[in-house]
Amino acid sequence: MEKITHSICVGGPIAIHTEDGVIRRVRPVIFDKNDPDPWVIEARGKSYSPYRKSTTAFIALTEKNRAYSYDRIRYPMIREDFVETPDGKNRNTENRGKSGYRKATWDEALDLVAREIKRVQDTYGKETVTAITSSHHSWGLLGYKLSTFARFFRMLGYTQILDNPDSWEGFTWGAPHTYGYYWRLGGTEAFDLLEDAMQNVETMIMWSHDPDSTRGGYAASESTMWRHWLDDMGVQFIYIDPFNNFTSVKQADKWFGPRPGTDAALAEAIAYVWITEGLYDKDYIGKHGHRFDEWADYLLGKGADCVAKTPKWAENETGIPAADIKALARRWGTTKTMGGSGLRGGFGGVCRTANGTEFARIMVSLFAMQGMGKPGQNIWVGSTGAPMDYNFWFGGYSDPLSQIANQPIADKTAVNCVTQKLYRPNLPDAVLDGHYEWYGEGFCGGGIDLEFTEHIYPEPGCSEVHLFYRYGGTFMGSMLDTNKWVKMYRSPKLEFVVNQDIHFHGESRFADVILPACTNLERYDIGELCNSGNGGYQSHSQTGNNWQIVVFQDKAIEPLWDSMSDYWIFSQIAERLGWGQEFTEGRSELDWCKRFWEKSDLCERISWEEFTKKGYYVAGVPADRKRYYGFRWFAEGYPCDTPNHKPFQEEGKLGTFTGKFEFVSESMLYYAPDDEARTPIATYKPSWEGHHSIKAKKYPFHLISPHPRFDYHTQHNSSTPWIWEIPENRKYINGNPYLIARIHPVKAAEKGIKDGDLVELFNERGRVLCVARVTYRVEVNTIHAYGSSGIYNPVDPGNPESLDIGGCVNILSPGRLIGDKVPGMAPNSTLLDIKKYEGEIPKGQYFEYKLDKVAKEADPDAETCFDIIEGHGFEAIQAKVRARA
Amino acid sequence: MRLGIAIDSRMCMSCYNCYTACKDEHCGYDTKLSKAQPQMGQFWMDIREWERGNSDRKIKTATVPTPCSHCQDPACAKAAKDGAVYKRGDGIVIIDPEKSKGQKQIVDACPIKAIYWNEEYQIPQKCTMCAELLDDPNYLSYLGDPKLKKPRCVEACPNNAMYFGDLDDPNSDISKAIAANKVTQLEPLAGQVTNVVHLNVPTVFLAGTVYQPKELEEVLIGATVTLIKEDSGEKWETKTNYFGDWEVEDLPKNAKFKVTVSAEGYKTVTGNTVTDKDRNLPVVYMERA
Repeated sequence: MEKITHSICVGGPIAIHTEDGVIRRVRPVIFDKNDPDPWVIEARGKSYSPYRKSTTAFIALTEKNRAYSYDRIRYPMIREDFVETPDGKNRNTENRGKSGYRKATWDEALDLVAREIKRVQDTYGKETVTAITSSHHSWGLLGYKLSTFARFFRMLGYTQILDNPDSWEGFTWGAPHTYGYYWRLGGTEAFDLLEDAMQNVETMIMWSHDPDSTRGGYAASESTMWRHWLDDMGVQFIYIDPFNNFTSVKQADKWFGPRPGTDAALAEAIAYVWITEGLYDKDYIGKHGHRFDEWADYLLGKGADCVAKTPKWAENETGIPAADIKALARRWGTTKTMGGSGLRGGFGGVCRTANGTEFARIMVSLFAMQGMGKPGQNIWVGSTGAPMDYNFWFGGYSDPLSQIANQPIADKTAVNCVTQKLYRPNLPDAVLDGHYEWYGEGFCGGGIDLEFTEHIYPEPGCSEVHLFYRYGGTFMGSMLDTNKWVKMYRSPKLEFVVNQDIHFHGESRFADVILPACTNLERYDIGELCNSGNGGYQSHSQTGNNWQIVVFQDKAIEPLWDSMSDYWIFSQIAERLGWGQEFTEGRSELDWCKRFWEKSDLCERISWEEFTKKGYYVAGVPADRKRYYGFRWFAEGYPCDTPNHKPFQEEGKLGTFTGKFEFVSESMLYYAPDDEARTPIATYKPSWEGHHSIKAKKYPFHLISPHPRFDYHTQHNSSTPWIWEIPENRKYINGNPYLIARIHPVKAAEKGIKDGDLVELFNERGRVLCVARVTYRVEVNTIHAYGSSGIYNPVDPGNPESLDIGGCVNILSPGRLIGDKVPGMAPNSTLLDIKKYEGEIPKGQYFEYKLDKVAKEADPDAETCFDIIEGHGFEAIQAKVRARA
Repeated sequence: MRLGIAIDSRMCMSCYNCYTACKDEHCGYDTKLSKAQPQMGQFWMDIREWERGNSDRKIKTATVPTPCSHCQDPACAKAAKDGAVYKRGDGIVIIDPEKSKGQKQIVDACPIKAIYWNEEYQIPQKCTMCAELLDDPNYLSYLGDPKLKKPRCVEACPNNAMYFGDLDDPNSDISKAIAANKVTQLEPLAGQVTNVVHLNVPTVFLAGTVYQPKELEEVLIGATVTLIKEDSGEKWETKTNYFGDWEVEDLPKNAKFKVTVSAEGYKTVTGNTVTDKDRNLPVVYMERA
């Protein structure tokens, strides 16, 4: 019997066909005649509307492969050599990462977890438990980390680990000091800018911007057509990125590849040309700029360093010819230009460098100089700002009103009684050293002052953490200096480690107890495409879509093997801790889903019965919609009317101290005048790990490891063998999918490397084996290999010195923060060297393969990992599920 | 009726939705028309891609999603014995999974290498244009519109770079798309009628950048660049843009060209090149006349 249900996963909404309890296929959602009409944009004599379907990013169509994946965590497991000592000592923690596991029953595993939580909290205090999740390993308001996970740990009391804005660091820590928008974490407002661009723009500056690659996890492939529309109108697309990225190589009219970390120098030279040639909006700057002349003096060589930031000067830093820099500045300065930025909507990685804050500030300054907010002049990069019904509200994941941790969804809000915090990028340092200090709240949306709050770990009177509960995804591939994480896990200070996840990611193997969670497709949830919460940090992010679509995430199949939903797991532990009823408030998962419907505008648009039957709801845009062009209020001087704004915007002010664009930052002068990374005037500063470093003599190449094209965070590559044979992604050799690393033909020739060779990327932090792609698409001094590998596969498991064959290039990146007072990370400030790998090809030696033993013991007919990857494992699973039904 | 797929390379952004949808449909499932596509090693929808350009000053990629072309007169059918490959009334070419056993010559016969050999079953396999879904009256009946029933790759394309429909109907979307775009047959299939039609696959470009005298460090905007094909005298003319860049796309392949760069007040520069590959010609610094 075929059944069709819907869900929304990272990568977009999907229709799921199941047959007799087995997923048959996963398709995009195609609209029927009852769904609303599309919006229309009239521009340059033509009408534009989106097609009547919801797109997917290709990762969404891998959900079947992921659900039945070889690396699903099938059973609760306990580390073979884990000993439940009463004092938490002598637990063979040094074997984490290499020890095998044994199958446990749910009762055994959950009882152990509950006992350990009680033991450590009784012994050391509530704060000795710490826990953290990766972002977006699933989608849906119930299952998201700010909902179920947050409810459990806040009720328990734990040391929260603050996230850093790891995808766009520089914009968060830099841009607010130039133009405010701290409440959007440095991002700007994109309201209706698609229409503005369609009608007005002539040039698009796509600076460190790769939306075709990095937009999919949130907004599927919704915006690619918009960029085609603009292209077809003759709008010129200029891409700037050390890697001629996947959007660029398809679309660029011109590509510039600056040396990594020197983008701010290029930006300064552009401003220099505008100032010396008068190519900027002097009236606008006169009215809206603060201390512009001091910045101009600095650029002209009248500053403290007495160096004019001429195109020739920038040529020496960036490698881009001075003539081309002048031409770029003139095109930008004389045509209506929109662009950005290394920010959300297409993360290219420039803000994840040692100079990322200054790049972001100068970028904002450049757009200010061209009259930001006037028609066709804005920070906007072709991936947001579609028409939307601003009057329809359904909760987004970051919205406190739409989390089961809080009222009104819950009857009682869960409040964490522990004030002690930790900070994610440096968690290993804090655990290993037993002491850590840092500035800021991670996400500082509440005010610029929050960037400068002082934290110390342990807090006075608090204990260190001894129990680590890790949930979803892996930081081995997304945080930096991976081997430090290995060392942390092997420390006896962490007396007990739990890992709760769907797939056996690189980090799972370091746990004492592994709890198998099920996928989105095996449980109920509810969610909207690309909605991160109106009023949240990316307020109205659904304008990145053609359609606002809320999906009832029906349970397509029963949880596979022994896996269970995260909600069930946390309910069970809460029960064992004595507050199960308080945790659930008596609600099932389906009951909670209904709460989100009932507490939003959705309940006025569609009945619960109809919604759950149809599976989704599309909110149309009224034909007579009101426009709120982003930032236009500021340029034209009327009270701000955008759907999400602060009171002072109504007085025509920005969120800086002066309410203007600050070319000398008053907030920096007030809070941290001595900050070396962020000076009061934003300036290009050579990276602490860059071509001016001593280290460059030994490790002459820059590694850039941007957000991946063929993955989202760490979730897809590790579990989806289908995509291992995509030539630009990985190369499947001898049972192992090697990551592609790109090198310029000139350097490849010098190194004797040919396309397809195995190559070793190395520096003092570690070694990673990749497959070389020799291509003109990289800047000559750059090695490009995508970050976020979910596969961490050291040849010698547990040994931090070991060669990795999983493509976890984060092993090579520095754990150092951008600055003493800038707590962002900088993976794209990495130096390394590369050589042809002459050693033996390591045999396909997944750690997961060892778990086949566990599977076979539990079920002699169990399919092996290899069966599932290459053989008939999927058919075997199907047959079993059907037999059970 | 002749069912076909038109694939527009210009609109393709190489996103792999079609590739993944094909795997999703055919891996792990036998149908009446085919055995399952193996999880690894076969690509019934193969994304063929190459880099264009010989310099980091100008580099692009061409992407040609390549399923079986469902030829009107299929070479694989001629090579097959016992009618193991047959053409349906709707034009879709099917390899019979039973009759084709052991017939490796069917794989070798395909001019575009779109047929794969299954070692385990000893059979040739390829794209079925999702004929088994098109045949199934229940498939997607819930959408209430038979026109929404398409091969999985076409449905999954987020950019409408693929069209499906009846090639014999001049009013079908696919026929209109073919009429409105440049048909670029895959080279090994030149001269043949196929039901999968490739549109806008680029041939070769020549490009370059023109600067003013070197010491000035300025690009030269508006210089005239003329390309003359040596054997025929055919002429292409363009001007340098705001970056001093020029580019002529879709030139005839493997032809010899004379290149002339001229601008008022400067000495004319000439040179020769060949369109054996996409070329960014050496940078030109003009001298004052």
